[in-house]
Amino acid sequence: MSRVLATAAFLLALLPSLALASEGGGGLINLDKSLIIQMVNFGLLLLLLGKLLYRPLVGKMEERALAIRKSLDEAQAARAEAQREREEHAAKIQAAHAEAQAIRAAALKEAAEEQRRLVDAARAEAGRLVESARAEMTQDVRRAKQELRQEVSDLVIAVAERVIKKSLRDEDHRRIVADAIARVEKVS
Amino acid sequence: MRAREGTARRYAKALHMIALESGAAPAVGQELAAFLGVLTAEPEARDALTRPWIKAGDRRSIAVAVARKAGCGKLVQDFLGLVADRGRMDHLPEIVPAYQALVDEDLGQARAQVRSAVALTDEEKRQLGARLERALGKRILLEEHVDSTLLGGFVAQVGSLILDGSLDGQLARMRERLARG
Repeated sequence: MSRVLATAAFLLALLPSLALASEGGGGLINLDKSLIIQMVNFGLLLLLLGKLLYRPLVGKMEERALAIRKSLDEAQAARAEAQREREEHAAKIQAAHAEAQAIRAAALKEAAEEQRRLVDAARAEAGRLVESARAEMTQDVRRAKQELRQEVSDLVIAVAERVIKKSLRDEDHRRIVADAIARVEKVS
Repeated sequence: MRAREGTARRYAKALHMIALESGAAPAVGQELAAFLGVLTAEPEARDALTRPWIKAGDRRSIAVAVARKAGCGKLVQDFLGLVADRGRMDHLPEIVPAYQALVDEDLGQARAQVRSAVALTDEEKRQLGARLERALGKRILLEEHVDSTLLGGFVAQVGSLILDGSLDGQLARMRERLARG
């Protein structure tokens, strides 16, 4: 490609010289030995320009194109990486959401279970308390009745003893003794 | 208390065996009771016979002298001397009834301790004795004393058998029935 361009440039540069030479002497280009020198000079100039300007320029351009391509590739890779990371993050967020949902569901279930257990326990405890209170009340009533009966009987007997002590006469003693003697055989 | 009764019974049994050989068991019982009566009436004599710091020989001499004065025979004098010598005179209140129980058993009789609110008449004693003899199949010796804490009637005890014919007993039973409802 570069060679074609160089040849073309040479021919283009040669054409006006030839034209001028053909028109007569005394022009810019004379068809004589100097033409050869000029052509050599021109060739050397081309060669020098090609060496010093064209090749570094092309090299730079290629280098630049390469750098741009590399940058483009890197950008593409970065974009792909970013996309991958975005997807990864999205997946992680999705997983976290799912896990949170599962934890919430488990917590709700556990809370419901705990609530049910507490209610059951409270109900059982309440039942026990009621039963205990009822038994205690029954016991208290029974004890109170017993104490009342005991007190009443003590009182009745104390009164009876006082009345008997005051009212017993000798004949009463004799009768009591006789009755007790009569009961001896029955007792034995 | 149980050990004390056991000791008293051993002494009573020993005396009873010797008294049986001599054929004077009931008389020995009466002499013992008389000696016990003297000791009860004379606290000084009882103290002298039960104090541990008085020499055993002296206690023996005192017991023999008191027994002689109370009209006890040689056997009872020797027995009481031995009891005093061994320092067991404080057991005498248990020895005497234990001995009498052995004699009563020999004679097929039993003693009825009767506590009564008022003194029983002779007729009442006779009737009670007869009833107890019929019930127990033994001759009964009534030992009665008046207990002013009783309201009326009597309580008779023959060995472990207690016959409660008192108003107090009836009232106690009535109290129990009332308390039970």
